[in-house]
This record gives sequence, structure tokens and C-alpha cells, in this order.
Amino acid sequence: MLILSLALASLAPASKPLAPVSEVFAIRAEQLHLADGTVLENGLVLVDGDTIAAVGSGVSVPAGAALVEHAGHLTTGLIALGEHAGGSGELRDSTRTVLAGGRLAHAFAPGHSQLEALLAEGITSLVLAPSAGSLSAGCTAVVKSAGDTVVSERAQLHIGLSSASLLSNRRPTSYSGALRDLEALLSSAHGDFGAAARGELPVLIEARSRHEVQRAVAFVAEHKLRGAISGAPLAGELAADIAAAGLSVISDPRSPGASQRSIDALLSLAEAGVPFGFKLASPARHANTLRMGVALCVRRGLSPATALRSLTVDAARIAGVDERIGALATGRDADLVLWSGHPTDLTSSVKAVLIDGQLVYGEL
Amino acid sequence: MSRRSTFNRVAPNRVALAALAALSIIAAPAGAEPATRTAPDDGDPAAESSEQYLINAGRVIVRPGEVLENVRILVRGGSIAALGRDVEAPEGIEEISGAVVCAGFIDPWSALGVDAGSLRDQRTEPATRTADAIDVHGQRHLRREALRAGVVAARVQAGGLARVGGVGAVVRLNPDLSAAEALVLPDAVLAMSVGLSRGGGAMDVFDRQGEVDRVRGALDSGLAYRQNEVEYRYDLEEWEKAMAEKEADLEKDFKKAKKDRDKGLAKAEEDDKEFKEKKYKEDKKPRKPSFDSNKAALARAAHGELPLVVQVHRAAELRELLKATAGVDRLRLVLAGATEAESVAETLVERRVSVLVAPSLARSDARDEWAGADLGLAGRLEQAGVEVLLGSGGETPDLTRDLPLLAASAVGHGLEREAAFEALTIGAARSLDVADQLGTVEVGKSADILVLDGAPLLGTTSVQYVFSAGRLVVTPQN
Repeated sequence: MLILSLALASLAPASKPLAPVSEVFAIRAEQLHLADGTVLENGLVLVDGDTIAAVGSGVSVPAGAALVEHAGHLTTGLIALGEHAGGSGELRDSTRTVLAGGRLAHAFAPGHSQLEALLAEGITSLVLAPSAGSLSAGCTAVVKSAGDTVVSERAQLHIGLSSASLLSNRRPTSYSGALRDLEALLSSAHGDFGAAARGELPVLIEARSRHEVQRAVAFVAEHKLRGAISGAPLAGELAADIAAAGLSVISDPRSPGASQRSIDALLSLAEAGVPFGFKLASPARHANTLRMGVALCVRRGLSPATALRSLTVDAARIAGVDERIGALATGRDADLVLWSGHPTDLTSSVKAVLIDGQLVYGEL
Repeated sequence: MSRRSTFNRVAPNRVALAALAALSIIAAPAGAEPATRTAPDDGDPAAESSEQYLINAGRVIVRPGEVLENVRILVRGGSIAALGRDVEAPEGIEEISGAVVCAGFIDPWSALGVDAGSLRDQRTEPATRTADAIDVHGQRHLRREALRAGVVAARVQAGGLARVGGVGAVVRLNPDLSAAEALVLPDAVLAMSVGLSRGGGAMDVFDRQGEVDRVRGALDSGLAYRQNEVEYRYDLEEWEKAMAEKEADLEKDFKKAKKDRDKGLAKAEEDDKEFKEKKYKEDKKPRKPSFDSNKAALARAAHGELPLVVQVHRAAELRELLKATAGVDRLRLVLAGATEAESVAETLVERRVSVLVAPSLARSDARDEWAGADLGLAGRLEQAGVEVLLGSGGETPDLTRDLPLLAASAVGHGLEREAAFEALTIGAARSLDVADQLGTVEVGKSADILVLDGAPLLGTTSVQYVFSAGRLVVTPQN
């Protein structure tokens, strides 16, 4: 309950207090990465309270505002999709097939030590998503790695269309049973399913194997849903179908040793123009895995700009929160990461992290 | 007749002595001289590559910290034949251009190239040779991927989780080489481990300490074996001298001895009795110690002829292991894994023990002894002055390909870039005793080198060409 009220408070923009002058400061970086992939040399970000007030090369710093010079790269914070840090048991309800109205925001544990590990890798936002097993576990939540900000407590409607959602001891036990149940829920026009059916709420569809991806694509097309397919390592081999359905892809974490085929599948997505982002699944995975995933792709030829978008603006769009996070742009949350080099280069390190305008890691 | 008889009596001893002398040369302690490193003779002699190339390099990283600009490298006969500004291009040679040339990367802790059974074998012994388990034709695609990532060679180790893994080998990863060509060094290190859960759950602290004692016990048995061998050599020498003197005496008294013998022979014939040859009293011949391949391997490690790589993680075992091995003066100890090595960093610096770190992103599936492993370990040890090596962990063959990325992550977490580059090239080559062949770009060394379009280990840099023993195995087109 406490979490929810915090969430609501931070969701309402009107509740932001007017920032005193001392809360205005600027950071100038040698390389400043914009959402469209362009890099500004000596670009400047002006922060007012918890929001970005201006971004550009010619932005003037107001009198009295501090200016931080950064000899390195500056990006918005990275976003981990499908994250478990601090969530543990809250991420799964193994007794209910469908948890109507379920909110993963309940699993948010602000200040949890597992969240701190994310900061060290420049991850400022995470999408709390359920563990596989349900037909629908409710809505994912987007939260910040430091502080108690809930960016969205109703980000995506979770739908499990993989074999993991089919159990032998409860309904549904088959794909056709699952589709029948889901169709019934969508046609009811109530609650989250109603919102998804009307296209107001994106869906997160779990699918693993090739035929499950094909089934998910057909399901989305038939019901005119929008959203992303999650958990199919080779989804990229169906990139054309996924692009035609207007879907995005949420990739499983890509660790060292990942098969070349699964990396090439991600490159196929990029080629077909399908936006994708990465799950992290920390604490099971080191938070560095997020950047490792894109480094594996960059080595195979993905452009560093596309790679960075998959960790920022594309991930924010997939989670439906690109109005708030995922880009260095006026009016967005002041989630900033100061890097020693390009963020998709693993030899770069995080120098400082700001969330909602507050320094939460490193030093300026 | 009698002369021949005398001769016959001595001759077998001469033969035996010669044979023993030969044996003692083979078994001679090589401590004083560096161990001879040659290709094994149990295969085709390494055929020299007939390929030749001229590389026009913007920059050559000869070794960490030593850079040459605008030089040409002639690759011929499998080696770097010439390097300099004025290297002439032989008629019709294939020319290659690239921004940066550096030594190929070496994974000093890899699982690529050995069959899975040998890798997981827990009944390996000190004398078990990984070189015998190398599968030249296996995992072709993984080897090719590793080459594309710039990893040209690896130390492979059977019995990676066993208490004693035996003798590890350094191999080239090029899948098109024969076993003889692929083997850089068949006996590179002796491997052991202490305190691993080995799939059977965590060990209790007493069992772990017991394993430390076993390491020392094994080294002691190697030392004693070598001691016996040396003593035997001296004893044998003395005995040989005594025998030679005796033989000389015999020669001097030969005429009288012959007369006596002839007389005896005639008498025996007369009496119709069997003639008995005179027995000569001689010094008791020293007994050759029985050959024990395990103790011989342990002796080589205890005398520093083979580095001893011990996988050990917890602070308590690290401390005790260092204590237990303190008296073994010539031991060349390398600690692998070494999750909690910071706690003994000072001792490591003092005793020049290097640490082979496996940067890992695994968490939930990490075994108990790896708990607490993080990407910052390599950097913190380097800061403390410890020599750091980087490896992929020796359990998953796929990881060798991504060792450069893991090394990059270690750099992102505090390791100096140059230290990481050194660890993957000359550092690994030196610690595996293959620096005469690999690890730097120098004339006379094997041409296992990379052509890059930027600085090594940088995310924006891609590997353009890879040479393995002088053969061009990776190009931008393949």
C-alpha cells in the first residue's frame, strides 16, 4: 500500500515542487548522446530539479547554476527490461493462472541492496516483470534503481504464450486452451485486458520457440494488440513477420558464450527495423550483462548507436514510458550517466549516475 | 676362449652401464637448464606453412609499451621472418594492410579443444597429459569464432575440477592444423585444485584444509623422488669408477688369471667335473629407483620446471596454501580463480605468485567457492602489485571466444588497459613457458598475430586478419 501511494505521488507531475535555484545545474560532456543516435561534441544538459530543462550545444547556463565539465560520454540512464532485483518471491504467483489486476509494482523494494549493483553499471530504470509460469501475471512496473520513483505501475500487460505457461495440473494445458482463455479475457473489455484490446496498454507476450513466436505474431495481428515478444532467443529469424505485426522484441540476457546464432538473430532484428531491448534478470546475472549483450552484437557488426538505443530509448518505448525516460531531451527525467568512454564499449566505466537530478553513484 | 669368456663377463655390465648412463641423462634433473621445448615426436613433424604475406602496418604493438609505426612485417615459413621499414616485398607476395598489428590473444585457462569427458575427469593423476586428450577436429565452429575474436591459442587442461588435473598443454585453436602443428607445448603446467565443491555441494573447512596438505604432500613426494634420483646418479658414478678400477686390475693380472683358469679347466675335464668360473667380488651395484611418472611430474613442478596452477578461492585456503608451499623454493605457483586473493595480496607480491582471474558474469549458478567473484578483482589485484592473468575459466568451451570481451569488462572495472593486453599476450605466454613462440610480434617468433582496425580491446575495434602459425585464417571476407 505504501509502495502504491508512493507510486501515485511520483506519477503525478503536478506534485513536483518548484525547484529552487540551487537545484539548477548543468553538465557539459565531450560527447553527449541524443536519442536519435547523434552525438553532440561538448554538448550540455541543463537540469532543473528532477527534470532536464534543456539539451544542446548552445544552451546557456543560468547565473548561479553549477556547471560540471565531464571529459567523457554522457547518456541518459540505461533501462533493464525483465528485471528481478529486489523482487524475489513477489515476482511469481504460482497458484493463479491469471492474476487479473496484478501489479508487479508490489515487488518494488526501494533501497534494496540488489538495486545498488545496477547503479554501478549505469542502469537507472528497470522493468519488474513476472517469472514465467502464468497465463497472465498482471502488469509490469517501471521503477528507478535509486529512490522510490515508480515511473509506471501499469507498463505492459503480461501474457504467457510459451510452454512454460502450460501446466499439466491446471488449465490451460494446451496452446489452444491458452488462446481460448486469452481471447475470452480480451473480449470482456474489462480492466487491463480491455485496455490492451483497445490498444491503450502494450502487451508483453512470452514466447520461446519459433512456433510460439509465430503464434504470438498471429495472435497480436488478430486482436490488433501492440507490444513486444519476450524470451525468444531466435525471434530475429522471423524479423520480417515481427516487423509486419509492428511488434518489438525483449531479448533474454546475452552472456559471454552466447551462441553466435542468437547474436546474429538480434542483428537481423536491427536490420528489419524491429526495436529491441534486453532483459537483465539480475541478481541471477551480473548487471554488466546488459552491456555485454550489446557488446556481443557490436562485435558482430551492430552499430554502437543502435546498440545504445536498445538500452535506452527503444527499451523505454517497449515499456511504454518513453515520455518520461530513455532520452536526453527537454522535459524528461534527469537520469544521467557519466561514462569514461562509449557506453557500449565494455572498457568504459561509470563515473557518476544521477537519478531524478540526484547524484546516486560516483562523484561529479 | 678364456679371453672371450672374461670379455663376456664384463661386456654385459658395460652395456648395462651405457644404458644406465643414457637413462640418467633422460632422467637428469633439468633444474639447472630450462626445460627443452620441442614439438612432440608422436606425430607428423610440424610442416612449415608455405604461405607468405607482407603486412603493411600503421602501428605494431611489439609488446605492451613498445610500439613501432609504419612498418612492414614479412610472414614466411610459419614465422615472422622480417619486421621493419625497409622490408622488401618478394615478387608476387600477397600484401595486407592494417592499422594495428599485435600478438594474438592466449586464453591460459580454456576448455576449448579437449573432449568433454577428459575435461570433467576427476580421476586424473599428476602424469595425466592433456595433450593426449586433444581433439583437433572437435568444436570447429567454436574454434573459428575464437579465432575471429582474436584468440589464437589456449592452455587446455584435463581434470579441471579434479584435485590433481595433470599436465596441461598449450594449443593453437586453428582447426585446420594437425595435432603436431596445433601443439605449442605439450607439457606447459601441472594443475591442481583446492576446496572445490565439484558438484557434490560445498566442502567443510577441514576437508578443504586437508586438500591444502595434500598439495604440499604431493610436492614433497616429488622432491623426495628427485632427491633419490640425484643420489642414485652419484652412487652410480662411484660404482662405475670402482668397476673401472677393478676391470683395470683384472686386465693387469690377465695372464696369471688365464693360466689359473686354463689349469682349472683342464683339471675339471680330467676329473670329469663341471668347471666353476671364479667369482669376482664387486661393490654392490646401486639400485635404480623405480620409475614413477606421477612423482616425476610432481618433481618437475616442485623444481619449477613446470608452473603449478592451483585453482583455489577462499581466503583461508589461499593463506594456508601459501604457507604450506613457502619452503618449496623453486616452485612457480599460479593461483587460478582466487576469488578472495586480495586478502593475501602482499604475500603474492612478495613471492611473485601470479593470479589467473576468470572474470565472470554468472551469479546464481556460480558454485559456493565463486560466491563473491566480481569483475573488479583483476583490477584490485593489479593495483596491489600482483601479476594478473585473465582466462575464461576452463569449464565452458564457448567462453574462450569471449575472453577479449571479459577482459574488456575487467578494464571497465578497474584493470589498466595495458595490463589486460599484457595478460592476454606476453603475460600468458611467459607464465605458460611459450614466450619463445607466442606473445609478441618479433622476428623469429611464430606468426600467431592479429591485424586490427584500431587499438586492441576497444569496443569499436574489429579483428580484420588473424594469422595462426603463419597461415591466414581470418580475413574480413570470411
